Amino acid sequence: MSAPPVVDGRAGGAAAPARSTTPTAVERLKRRIPLLPALVLTIVLTQVPLLGTVYYSFHSRNLLRGDAIEFVWFANYADILGDEHFRTAVLNTVVLTASTVTLSIALGVALAVLLDKAFLGRSVVRTLLITPFLVMPAVAALLWKHAMFDPVYGLLNWFLSLVGVGPIDWISELPMFSIVLMMTWQWTPFMMLIVLAGLQSQSPEVLEAAKVDGARAFATFRRITLPHLRRFIELGILLGSIFIVQTFDAIFLITQGGPGQATMNLPYFIYQRTFRAFEVGESAAAGVIVVAGTIVIAIFALRVILNLFREEG
Amino acid sequence: MATITYEAATRFYPGSERPAVDGLEISIEDGEFLVLVGPSGCGKSTSLRMLAGLEDVDEGAIRIGDRDVTTLAPGRRDVAMVFQSYALYPHMNVAENMAFALEMAKMPKQERRRRVREAARILDLEPFLDRKPKSLSGGQRQRVAMGRAIVREPQAFLMDEPLSNLDAKLRVSTRSQIAALQKRLGVTTVYVTHDQVEAMTMGDRVAVLNEGVLQQCDSPRALYQRPANAFVAGFIGSPAMNIREFAVHDGHARIGDRDVEVSDELRAALADEGLDRVLLGFRPESVDLVGPSEGFTASVQLVEELGADAYLYCSIAGTDHAGDPDIVTRIDPARPPRVGETVHLRVRAGHEHAFSPVTGERLSS
Ligand SMILES: Nc1ncnc2c1ncn2[C@@H]1O[C@H](COP(=O)(O)OP(=O)(O)OP(=O)(O)O)[C@@H](O)[C@H]1O
Ligand SMILES: [Mg+2]
Repeated sequence: MSAPPVVDGRAGGAAAPARSTTPTAVERLKRRIPLLPALVLTIVLTQVPLLGTVYYSFHSRNLLRGDAIEFVWFANYADILGDEHFRTAVLNTVVLTASTVTLSIALGVALAVLLDKAFLGRSVVRTLLITPFLVMPAVAALLWKHAMFDPVYGLLNWFLSLVGVGPIDWISELPMFSIVLMMTWQWTPFMMLIVLAGLQSQSPEVLEAAKVDGARAFATFRRITLPHLRRFIELGILLGSIFIVQTFDAIFLITQGGPGQATMNLPYFIYQRTFRAFEVGESAAAGVIVVAGTIVIAIFALRVILNLFREEG
Repeated sequence: MATITYEAATRFYPGSERPAVDGLEISIEDGEFLVLVGPSGCGKSTSLRMLAGLEDVDEGAIRIGDRDVTTLAPGRRDVAMVFQSYALYPHMNVAENMAFALEMAKMPKQERRRRVREAARILDLEPFLDRKPKSLSGGQRQRVAMGRAIVREPQAFLMDEPLSNLDAKLRVSTRSQIAALQKRLGVTTVYVTHDQVEAMTMGDRVAVLNEGVLQQCDSPRALYQRPANAFVAGFIGSPAMNIREFAVHDGHARIGDRDVEVSDELRAALADEGLDRVLLGFRPESVDLVGPSEGFTASVQLVEELGADAYLYCSIAGTDHAGDPDIVTRIDPARPPRVGETVHLRVRAGHEHAFSPVTGERLSS
């Protein structure tokens, strides 16, 4: 069975017809002028503070000392990169972000797969599962600090006491684990929503075709659903990473970066340098380094989002 | 390859008290090409999906060969399905798409490769084996969907409107290719379409469904020549058969301004049922233009010239509903009458179909 190539008109017909008129330079400018105020505002609000930070990062300035502001080239950067606490903060941030993202993606996929099935009360369950994401981060942190982690009346220890374990002083004994636990609770709904959107965009006929082809549930998930979800999971990982790198509320309210340096992450480190040590120059340099790192992640995120629209169509 | 039997198979969708498929009873022979046809929403897809195992059978049973598959999972029925949207696996290339079912069946790699190559050769897909579905044309995707079915060498092919996403010209050529391929492979095939031309040209037998009920299952010729009821008569054939209700007095049906004698047989059948009216159907090609002294009078409302044929849409004198034309007739395109002209028409003897106006069932033999 072969289709004669003449009748197969679809293969060649894909190219879009070229625009017949190209607007002149003046026309193009006219079209864009109304966008100018928004552009200026965006630049002022986002780029000026960044430029300010870059400016400070090249100057020596401590608010406790009244000396003149001095241009010091890369001295601040050298100090920061040589600072053991900064390196700890980088490491902690990586650990916190990676564990939270991994756990919340894994849980998010599992919950999304469950929610994708029809069952009684699904919409109620879905709403309940989303709520952690709707709680203000600061409120969530306080809630966990007191209601969950408290060694005396916290719920976690109460649960453990039921099986005869504990009591554990979560925040001082397992500080990083506690923060990861709380952040995972908060971020799982976000991952779940992204993956659920992916699951629901899957063609039901493709799944039926797999059934007729004799694929069992697990094989279908691994060979058909998971490849389809890949882009969505990547998107979740990248967006999640960008936000979780910036975690401040939980650290500030639950551990203050401690005990010792155990949960000191980059935002909290910068905060301490600025508002506890008043080292404006050094914290600005740290800020610039973090921004540079985040921009690299964001570029990947944008590329993934664009691919998402290109991939299937 | 196997026979397929629907035994009073019934499907109720949750939340509707009327069955989508109601007591479907068909036996399909080994190697037969059966077409399910009917208007939209009549339950064709549901019937096919029940056979595939994608819909539950609420009552009755379905057999493939000697096996009762009524409650068997789709993957264990050994049938291959071609979906209307093709449902290709978007992340696999053409070769992987075709090999997927074989892989799931744990077939050795060697054999898998051989079958995929063979199918690709039959379907002219060899240049595209490494391509992903999204970079194929509609016709090529359709062939991949076919290939995915034939590599499995299944007991039966199930196809749900596989041509409806192709353009008109490609549809016609693919239609004959599928029919030829099915003959060559000899695999029992159930094919769903809403296009009666497809049904008539492809099927060994055609099953006409309406509102979930099987109306008639017969060869295309028999459906055309002896429709079992008024629905089948009106559904099969294009333009549709003229079906009108006429009063019968003293063995004569009153058509417009003329009494036409009805056959003895029909008269007896009407007497049996106690009817004084009859649904008469005649195809456009069974109506002739005749001289003024013969036939009944009609006025021309529209002339449709198609080149090889011309169709005359007329209203019969003596019937007073203006808008709709009462009768369509095929005429010689060389000398078409003009709109508004009065013509005389006669139904060729023995070419009329009589149905009960009450039940719609066929009366004459
Ligand atoms: N999932 C469903 N839930 C409830 N009712 C359904 C469902 N699928 C189909 N139906 C109903 O069952 C009837 C038969 O549907 P089916 O899809 O079999 O029609 P079809 O003959 O294939 O029509 P088409 O030619 O438009 O594809 C329709 O009245 C439809 O509304
Ligand atoms: Mg259908």
